[in-house]
Amino acid sequence: MSQIDHPMTMAKPARASTSRILGSLIQDRPALAACAFLILLAFSATLGAALMAPQATGVNMAMRNAAPQLGEGFAYLLGGDNLGRSVLARLVTGARTTLGIATAAVLCSLTIGATLGLFVGLRQGLMSDIIMRLTDVIMSFPALLTALIVLYLLGPSPVNLVIVLAITRIPVYLRTVRAEVLELRRRPFVNAARAMGASEGWITRHHLLPLVAPTLLTIASVDFAAVIIAESGLSFLGLGIQPPNFTWGAMVAAGRPYIAQAWWVTFFPGLAIMLTTLSLTLLSNWLRLVTDPNQRWRFTRSEG
Amino acid sequence: MAIFKRSLLTLLSLVILLVLVFFLSRLTGDPSYLFLPVNATPEARAAFAAQNGFDQPLMVQFLRYVGDVFTGEFGTSLRQQRPAIDVALEAFPVTLKLAAVTLAIAIAAAVVAGSLAAYRPRGLVDRTIGVTSLAGASAPDFWVAITLVLVFSVGLEILPTSGMGGPLTWILPVIVLGLRPFGLLVQVVRGSMIAALSAPYTKTARSKGASEGRVIFVHALRNSTLPVITVAGDIAASLINGAVIVETIFGWPGIGGVMINAILQRDFAVIQATILVTAIAILILNIGIDLLYRFLDPRVRFA
Amino acid sequence: MTFQHLRGATALGLILFALTGVPVAAQSTGAVTIVLPEEPPSLEPCDAKHSSIGRVVIRNITEPLTRLDPSNGEVIPVLATEWNQIDTDTWRFKLREGVTFSDGTPFDAKAVIAAFTRLDRTDMVCNTKQQTLGGIDLTVTEISPTEVEITSSKPSPILPTMLTVVQMSSPSMEVKGASRAPIGTGPYALGTWRAGQDITLDRLDGYWGDAPQVAKATFVWRSESAVRAAMVDQGEADVALIIAATDATNPDIDFAYPNGETTRLRINTSTAPLNDVRVRKALNMALDLDALKPIVGDEVTRAEQLVPPNTLGYDADLRPFAYDPAGAKALLEEAKADGVPVDTQIDLIGRDGIYVGAAEMLQAMQAMWAEVGLNVNIRMFDTGNWLRYQNRPFPEPNVPMLGQDQHDNLLGDASFTLFNKYDSDGVNSGLWDEEVDKLIATGENTTGAERETAFKQAFARIHDDLVADVFMYHMVGYTRVGPRVDWKPTIAANSEIAIADMKLAE
Repeated sequence: MSQIDHPMTMAKPARASTSRILGSLIQDRPALAACAFLILLAFSATLGAALMAPQATGVNMAMRNAAPQLGEGFAYLLGGDNLGRSVLARLVTGARTTLGIATAAVLCSLTIGATLGLFVGLRQGLMSDIIMRLTDVIMSFPALLTALIVLYLLGPSPVNLVIVLAITRIPVYLRTVRAEVLELRRRPFVNAARAMGASEGWITRHHLLPLVAPTLLTIASVDFAAVIIAESGLSFLGLGIQPPNFTWGAMVAAGRPYIAQAWWVTFFPGLAIMLTTLSLTLLSNWLRLVTDPNQRWRFTRSEG
Repeated sequence: MAIFKRSLLTLLSLVILLVLVFFLSRLTGDPSYLFLPVNATPEARAAFAAQNGFDQPLMVQFLRYVGDVFTGEFGTSLRQQRPAIDVALEAFPVTLKLAAVTLAIAIAAAVVAGSLAAYRPRGLVDRTIGVTSLAGASAPDFWVAITLVLVFSVGLEILPTSGMGGPLTWILPVIVLGLRPFGLLVQVVRGSMIAALSAPYTKTARSKGASEGRVIFVHALRNSTLPVITVAGDIAASLINGAVIVETIFGWPGIGGVMINAILQRDFAVIQATILVTAIAILILNIGIDLLYRFLDPRVRFA
Repeated sequence: MTFQHLRGATALGLILFALTGVPVAAQSTGAVTIVLPEEPPSLEPCDAKHSSIGRVVIRNITEPLTRLDPSNGEVIPVLATEWNQIDTDTWRFKLREGVTFSDGTPFDAKAVIAAFTRLDRTDMVCNTKQQTLGGIDLTVTEISPTEVEITSSKPSPILPTMLTVVQMSSPSMEVKGASRAPIGTGPYALGTWRAGQDITLDRLDGYWGDAPQVAKATFVWRSESAVRAAMVDQGEADVALIIAATDATNPDIDFAYPNGETTRLRINTSTAPLNDVRVRKALNMALDLDALKPIVGDEVTRAEQLVPPNTLGYDADLRPFAYDPAGAKALLEEAKADGVPVDTQIDLIGRDGIYVGAAEMLQAMQAMWAEVGLNVNIRMFDTGNWLRYQNRPFPEPNVPMLGQDQHDNLLGDASFTLFNKYDSDGVNSGLWDEEVDKLIATGENTTGAERETAFKQAFARIHDDLVADVFMYHMVGYTRVGPRVDWKPTIAANSEIAIADMKLAE
């Protein structure tokens, strides 16, 4: 926090808040690195995927489980997988599906979970009781069974995959938000705001959400990895992404029999998942600072 | 009164769960394909259905099941041809023990690591703890498990490859199972500790001359119990549902593997029995957590 | 080396643990430990064709009347000493004298009748009867305490072969649920079964045959191949049954052996474009199956028919299709010119884990087909769902479909394969061809050279003329055998592990 403690210029009041937030990002090196990595990912998922798609799908048994090497350009920089395809090309190409599925699933469960959690935390009554008990039901319901049921009722598709992944993760967000709201709504500043005539919606937006958001973001970042791994666990049911499409999770799973002989087949996609999770967490830690009401004055235009 | 209402509602959710499981699991396909040889004739399939009551309308099957449950019968496993509840109860203690040990170690380690990290945010210690805990939490569990076996059993020859027995056999399963809970909890502890350490009451404690250790582990830590308990409760629930990867790789006969196999084999009675057992445990856990909230923060009121 | 240092340091750190618990090793005298891929669901003798049950039970606890010699496929005596055919439906078997079950019950004609009655039970499914005896009903009558007559409901020229699957269990065993405590005449008796953990067998005194060397056998199970292999490395087990080709890295202790399984993709020949033989041929020619061998194991051999050599009816003259993508393309063009919709998407119904490398195999094939212009869409299913696509009536009959399949003939006679897999009325058949039907019928009702010729002709027609499958491999299994045990796995290891065959190394 020391790095943002020096005096700030007030030259452009209108744009100050954005520029200060950006300034704090530049000073927070790890957060900056995280940001750079995520931008790189975005490029791989779009441009890179288009460029490297051919190397990612063609079978080349001569390069089966080939060790990382330089030669034939950069294609086998990270080695070859069990069908001799370039691990690097597959990482780049697979970024699109991976990020798409994981982002959709995490956002869905986060939004639904947080909304319901706020409701349950603020309104205590029959509806809240029902929601909480349904959460208990979801928590006790095995994800694999959910997956099979969705598969039978709705059929296999990426959207249904996201539904399954999201449903199973809703309780954690719901319960976290509820627990924090139950505690926060008794705090003096909330009571004060209420006494001053602030609406519940205003209190939620200005007092509760900013305080709950950091924990949510942290969980969401770690969830990203869990969702990717879970996806690969569902693809054998036919619910996941089917070949020739694939995700990083599927790459890790495909390398499972070769861990002893060709570590790179699982290691690099695993590393990609890890780095993405790490970047998201670093960014969310930085965002925590930005959204923390105790720190907010640093980023907003001072009034008068 | 509140406790009574809570228990009643809990019982209700258990009933809803079991009804849902009964009907929904039967939507996942005809078990005869799995229990008869691939060359079985349609007549053999019909005989199988009749033998197991699957030829009856679903409602009739359900009423029969409800009747059985009230007389303490939970059906017969199709695969093992013995009471399904025995299959579930045999496996559950293993899961419970593994979950309890893992969670206890993960919480203790996370509290220490998270507090250390929070003490100097963005310091070297914080960065190191943050990166390593997150790396552990986001690494694919089977990859970690097999790598650990290859390194510690095959390479270094200091730990058994697998199996359930003496203390040595616990080390690898607990590590693999604990990585995610640990990583998640470290983040939670760190987050709320940072907030707590800059809060007025810690400053007051400091100014009154309390030692740093006391400030961190008594005053600030108290502030982070609420989120830790919430997240730990959630983790506990997932651990109670079983740790399939750990169970299958290390050969631990827990309920996770039993449940997954039952689902894949459409062994409905076992699906129902395992969910009954784990759901009761999770519901008790949730009530316990609510009581803990109330104990820690008397202002919180629950329906 | 740093490895050594690390090892020392960690060992030191763990010394407290080491005092209280040591890795369980199987080194005590005369004891062996065998690690299996899965725990048996029960030890029910009438369900011993379930391989995870059979591996523990067959020829250890219970024995059949006859068995197949794995080296040549011939029927040899076990509890029956000799047999002869009375008429087309009737056989007589002389029983071994002086044999008792481990609970003291004598083995006699009454015991044989009880064991066959056990197969007919209605409270549960006995796969032995369903799977291998087909729809045939067998009636056993006592001629004398040491001789029985077995009558089959339809002519069974290979009855002694079929009886290899029927386990003789003690008449004292309750017929209720699946037994977890079988009683047989074998050289071992069940010691303990700690559910989820292990099963032990103890050697019996007074076994009718040669006394085995191994006094005690422990079966444990781990689903991960790498862990099974590591257990033998570490001396925690002596035999790791069925490890993946990638884990079979040490030629001194890892044995590759044909495991009796044959793989293929079944073609649903009724739907366009798969109803055109040129398209089916192109599907085969587009695949470089020799290059893909490493995915399933270098030792596999190309298959041109669904039964392995040593099976009665196997046609040794058939040759696999050569890899010829240009030829495949030409055939597809030709078919297209005749109006065959060769661009139609073909669905491939797969199951991960049906054999090691199953999912990879399909992906590799998909990529090779794409190169000749065939549009194949992989759809993976879990076992329960995949099996629906194995049986008639096939779901989605109007979708051109390939089905991933692996078949084990089990009994060394082509009749156990041909009807179900290729007859117009076969439950798993995607083929409708009168000539094949005729050949199968001829073979099934004859014996000797006539039977063999008919089956051979059927396989030749299925492969050369009809190209009814995407023919793949005769598979191999890999098993790791530790230094304390002298034993070589054979084709029988898929369904039985006779501990009595194991010798202890000096």
